[in-house]
Amino acid sequence: MNIVVLVKQVPDTATERKLSSDDNTLDRAASDGVINELDEYAIEEALLLREKHGGEVTVLTMGPDQATDSIRKALSMGADKAVHLSDEALHGSDALQTAYALSKALGTVEFDLVVLGSESTDARTGVVGAALAEYLGLPQLTLAGKVDVDGSAIKVQRQTDYGYDVVEAQLPAVVSVVEKINEPRYPSFKLIMQAKKKPVQKLAIADAGIDAAGVGLANATTETVDFAAAPPRAAGTVVQDEGDGGVKAADFLAEKKFV
Amino acid sequence: MSFTEPAERVALREAVAGFAGDYGAQYFQRKARAGEYLTELWAAAGKLGYLGVNLPEEFGGGGGGIGDLAAVLEELSAAGCPTLMMVVSPAICGTVLARFGTPEQQQRWLPGIASGQSILAFAITEPDAGSNSHNITTTARRDGADWLLTGRKTFISGVDVADAVLIVGRTEDAATGRLKPALFVVPTDTAGFEARPIEMDLVSPDHQFGLFLDDVRLPADALVGDPDSGLLHLFAGLNPERIMAASLATGSARHALSRAVAYANEREVWGRPIGAHQGLAHPLAQVKVELELARLMTQKAAALYDSGDDAGAGEAANMAKYAAGEVAVRAVDQAVQTLGGNGLASEYGLGAAIATSRLGRIAPVSREMVLNFVAQHSLGLPKSY
Repeated sequence: MNIVVLVKQVPDTATERKLSSDDNTLDRAASDGVINELDEYAIEEALLLREKHGGEVTVLTMGPDQATDSIRKALSMGADKAVHLSDEALHGSDALQTAYALSKALGTVEFDLVVLGSESTDARTGVVGAALAEYLGLPQLTLAGKVDVDGSAIKVQRQTDYGYDVVEAQLPAVVSVVEKINEPRYPSFKLIMQAKKKPVQKLAIADAGIDAAGVGLANATTETVDFAAAPPRAAGTVVQDEGDGGVKAADFLAEKKFV
Repeated sequence: MSFTEPAERVALREAVAGFAGDYGAQYFQRKARAGEYLTELWAAAGKLGYLGVNLPEEFGGGGGGIGDLAAVLEELSAAGCPTLMMVVSPAICGTVLARFGTPEQQQRWLPGIASGQSILAFAITEPDAGSNSHNITTTARRDGADWLLTGRKTFISGVDVADAVLIVGRTEDAATGRLKPALFVVPTDTAGFEARPIEMDLVSPDHQFGLFLDDVRLPADALVGDPDSGLLHLFAGLNPERIMAASLATGSARHALSRAVAYANEREVWGRPIGAHQGLAHPLAQVKVELELARLMTQKAAALYDSGDDAGAGEAANMAKYAAGEVAVRAVDQAVQTLGGNGLASEYGLGAAIATSRLGRIAPVSREMVLNFVAQHSLGLPKSY
């Protein structure tokens, strides 16, 4: 079974993230790029499925040159090869255009299954997987907390507020995963050393048959109109315990819907 | 000349830092206080190939250098898990066996050392020889094809978790009658091998032992490599040992410094973080400077060693060990001062580090002996002893 994992490089959530005031897109110079956290779970799931069913795991990344670092990291976890879709024309593409571009790039790879994180830590739209499945005309299985493949059938536990639904489909399909699904591995020394020797195919938009009019900031279907820094955290509520501290704490939790 | 590490080394550091973060200082302290070894961490690190990065690939190692192994130990230590047996098992014993062991010895021991499934301890120090390895009195004499090994060793780390100990002894030269150094691999279950714990005031999962060997019978192939080149074999392991000891110390210094910086940023008195005061900020900045200098010299020593320049590596490794031992003590001292009472509270783990950080000044070679080396070899001053 051949699997493609979609890997997005995002600004490190541990650092201060900024938008560029020129065009309201991400300021990539402002923070280090790392693999989107949920995509690490997607990589892990793909590797587990490969260990069980054989085949190859290909990483597909759309992003500028520096996304190479994240591709190497994915390869050092154990993926076999990578495709890097990188083109100036893609700058500023929104979620829908990204899904379109990825669907075209996937046309250059043979696959039975596409796995991705259910959302990214930067834009957090959570729609790329769904839009991609639409563009490809494939079934989508979202928010997967468990994946089982049996022949050409795929079954996932779709995580919900009340538990999970069991969703089944036929391959090829698109699966988005949540962090409950597994525990991503650390790269072994051997795989780190092998990563630089693994093939990384670079694609420009023309190589993937992507229509320039369908991608990029100028053609985006959504627009970032304005942005502002998050307000500083307000001071917390101090409760004086006059024998009713427990009640007040419980009320507070209930009010915030924690209990 | 490049002052940046190769991309693979950076990736290795990142991977080990992530891995070690799952364990952290609390795991280390809990294990140490319970008198238990870091079994889980050691096994998992071995599986990922982190413990054998420097050993040849044909024996299951990573085919990297001592610089890679040093990076692993520094990152583990920086995460609060100074894994001392890495200095001993893969760095000293692994290096000596990979460079000079017979093919049978390499097959027997290296795959286990590389995967972490076997641990080898190293025994050189003697009660009456101390730093003077020329005064070693542990002696092996022939009895038929076998060896009979007799002597005492002290401050031998990790014998309780070791499968075997690489013991530095001497054999009698048949022609001249003079004693010359020789290394023996002695499995810890050998009849007559006796190890007694030395009670230490250290919170550490690595325990210290005295060895008592009285005509311990060893097969002929317990002798490592060529009987005429024992001194060479011995010195082959000492540069990696110093480089690794330096990395454990710089990693531990990083750990203490990051604790102090985090506290100085958070803790507010009179409405400002205490780190805003230069009385606390400057000493921490000074530690940072000394730390980076020590790391740089450690990396230089490793690069020289990995390039095959044993002599150049010797001077750099000694200087790195000195600088790293000093900064580890200073970092812990200043961290404790920064945290005040919390610096001595068990929760923060720094109180125990006051004692353990002194190890870098004492072992594997004392600060004073390093200064002797530098005075004599680097400066050309007369030998004092």
